[in-house]
Amino acid sequence: MSGKHAQALAPDTTLIAQTRPDETRAAALMRTLLTRRELMLVVLLVIMLVVLFGLSGAGVTSGPYNGVTLASNLINVVPLAMLALAEMIVILTGRGAIDLSVGSIVSLVSMAFGYMYGIWGMPLWASIIGAVLVGAVLGSVNGALVAFLGFPPLIATLATYYAYWSLAIVVNDQQPISSPEIQALYDTARSLPIFGESFPRIPAGVFLFLIPTVVVVWYLVSRHPLGRRLYAVGTNDVAAKWAGIDLARTRFTAFALSGAISGLVAVVTVGQFASARPDAGNAGSGMALPAITIAVLAGVAITGGIGRVSGVVIAALLVTWLNAGILLLFPGNHGTQYQLLALGVLLVGAALLNGYTNRKYHIIN
Amino acid sequence: MTDLLTRDRPAAGKRRGRVLPRALSTQEVVLIGVLVVLWILLGVFTPNFLSAQSIQPLLASAAPIALIGVGMTAVIVTAGIDISVASMLMVCAVVMAKLMVDSSWPVPLALLAGVVVGGLCGLLNGLLITIGGVHPIIITFGTSNIFMFIGWRIFDSKVVNGIPTSVAWFGRGADGRFLGVPHSFLLVIVVAAALWWYMRYTAGGRHFYAIGNDQHAARLVGIRVQKRTIIPYVLTGLLVGVAALVATANGTQTLAQSVGQGIELQAIAAVVIGGTSIVGGRGSVLGTLLGALLVQTVESGVIQLGWAPQLAKFFVGIAIIIAVGADLLQQRLTRRAS
Repeated sequence: MSGKHAQALAPDTTLIAQTRPDETRAAALMRTLLTRRELMLVVLLVIMLVVLFGLSGAGVTSGPYNGVTLASNLINVVPLAMLALAEMIVILTGRGAIDLSVGSIVSLVSMAFGYMYGIWGMPLWASIIGAVLVGAVLGSVNGALVAFLGFPPLIATLATYYAYWSLAIVVNDQQPISSPEIQALYDTARSLPIFGESFPRIPAGVFLFLIPTVVVVWYLVSRHPLGRRLYAVGTNDVAAKWAGIDLARTRFTAFALSGAISGLVAVVTVGQFASARPDAGNAGSGMALPAITIAVLAGVAITGGIGRVSGVVIAALLVTWLNAGILLLFPGNHGTQYQLLALGVLLVGAALLNGYTNRKYHIIN
Repeated sequence: MTDLLTRDRPAAGKRRGRVLPRALSTQEVVLIGVLVVLWILLGVFTPNFLSAQSIQPLLASAAPIALIGVGMTAVIVTAGIDISVASMLMVCAVVMAKLMVDSSWPVPLALLAGVVVGGLCGLLNGLLITIGGVHPIIITFGTSNIFMFIGWRIFDSKVVNGIPTSVAWFGRGADGRFLGVPHSFLLVIVVAAALWWYMRYTAGGRHFYAIGNDQHAARLVGIRVQKRTIIPYVLTGLLVGVAALVATANGTQTLAQSVGQGIELQAIAAVVIGGTSIVGGRGSVLGTLLGALLVQTVESGVIQLGWAPQLAKFFVGIAIIIAVGADLLQQRLTRRAS
C-alpha cells in the first residue's frame, strides 16, 4: 500500500525509469512502458498512425487518411474526451464508483438547453451556464444517493440512467428542438483555419469546449486540494477518513462534477446536430460505454486512486483516429461494425494489461 | 471499524443456529404486496388489464427478463455482473435463426446450438474475468461490443425472414400455452425453482454466497474460487441462449437486429429490485422472479394506461431506487438494533 500511496502523492516525473540493478535494459523498457500508461499510449498512437498513413499511401483505404482526416475528426474527440474525463473523476474515488448515467444526462440536458436557448430565448451564455448547472444538479442526485444514502454507484447511476433518459424523451413528446437559434449553433461545429490556411482546419469545438474542460479538470485533479482528496479516497478510504477527509463530500463532488461536464457535452452535441435531440446521449449503445472504455484504456483503475488527465486525452485521440481509419478501411455498415470490435478488443486488452501490470509491479496492493 | 466490517452483510446471529436466511425475505413479501396492489390498481384504472389477453403476453414478455435475471442473480451473488447479456442474446438468436432458415438444420438442433453458443460466450466472460483478474463490469462491457460485432456480422445487415412456425411452441400465441400459461413462463418457473434449490440447499450454491461475501475467506475455507466464479457466467450464458429462443419465437417469423436491446438493464433491474445485493453475498432467485414481473408490469401498465411508453423507464428507475433504498434502510436499522 505504501508504494501506491507514494506514487499517488508524488508522481514520478522522469520519463524513462532508471534501470534497476537486477534487470536488463529490455526489462527496464518493458517496465517503463507498462507503468507509464501515457508513454505506452503515445507509442501505440504513433504505430497506429504510421500503419494507417502507410495503408492510405498504398491505396488500400477508400479515401485519403492524412492530416486533414485527423483534424476534421477532432470534432468527435470533443464529447468523448470530455465524458471520459467525467468518468475518470468518478472512477478515481474507488469502491467500484462508475457513472452509467452520463449519456442520459447528455440527453436530458440537451433538451433543457434546447428549451432555454431555442424556445425561452435566454441569451447563449446564460443557457450554457444553465446547461452546466442542470447537469450538475442531475449529477448531484447520483452523488447524494451514493455518498449520503449509501447506494452502490452502479445501482444509483443505473436508476438515474433510466429516469433521465425517460424524462428526456417524454419532456417534449419525443420531438427534437431545432428552432433557428439552435440551428445557428452549428457554427460551433465548424472548422477554423486556426494555424493559417496551409494547415488543416481545426473544429472550433476543440477550442471552445475541449481545451477549457481539459485545463479545468487538470487543475482540479492535479493542482487543487480536491484532486488530492479524490486520489486519497480512491487509494484507501479508511486512511483518508483518518486523515480527516470528508469521504461523503468528496464522493458527492465527484458525481456533481461528472454531471456538470456531461451538461457541457450536451451543449456540444446540440451544436453538432444543429438540434436538441432527446436521444443525444443514448443513441446506439449510448455515450457512457465509449467514455468508460477510454478511461480504462487511459489506465484509470476501476479500483480507484489511479489515473491521469493526459492519459485520458491521448486515449480519446487514439480511439477517435482509429475509428476514422476503420471507416476508411471498411466502407459502409462494415465500418461501424468493426469500430465496435475495435472498441471491445481495446477495452478487454487494456483491462487485462492493467491487471497484469498491477500484479507484476505491485502498483495496487 | 465494526460498521465497516459488518456493512452490507445480513444481520448475523439474530437467531441462534439459523444458517440459511428465511425462505421468504421481507423484501420479497413487500414485493408480492406491491405487485398485488399494482395489478389491482391497473385492473381498476384500465379496461382490460386483468384479462387473459393482457396477462398472457405480460408473462411471455417477462420470461426472457426472468430467465436472464435468474442467471444474473447467481453472477451478482458472487459480487460480479454481466453487462454483455443483451449482445449475447442477439448472437444466440441470430445463430438459431440462420441455422434454421439458411442451413435448414432441424429446429431442435438449431435451438440447442444457439443455447450452446450462449454457454460459450458465458465461458469466455468467466475465463477473462477469473484469469485476467479484472473487474467483471469492465470485461463484460468489452465483450458486449465484441458479441455485438459478431451478431451484426452474422445478420449481415439484413433481417432474418421465414423462421419455421414450429418454434411457436415457445411463442406468445395460442400454440405456446399450457392451461392458459405461456410455455416460456412455465420454463422460467422450472429454471428458477431449480436454481433456487441449488443456491439455497447445496454446497456448490452456498459457495457463490461465500465468494460474494469475502473472496479471501472463501479461499481460506477451501473453495476453489476461480473455478466456482466461472460457473455463474456460463450458467447466465446458457440461460441467455434459452431467452434467445423465447425472443426468436416472437410470433412474426422475422428476427431483427434490435432483438434483446436493453435487456441487460432490465435483467439487472429485476435482480436488484428482488433484493439481491449488488456487492454480493446476498440475494435469491425468487426475488428476481418477482422483480422481473414488476419490471414487465410497469412496462405493460404504462402502455395500457395510454401514457408515453418511455415513461416506463422512469418508473423502473424509481423502483430500483425505492427497492435498494428500503434494503439499505432496513440494514441500517438492524445494525443499530444489534
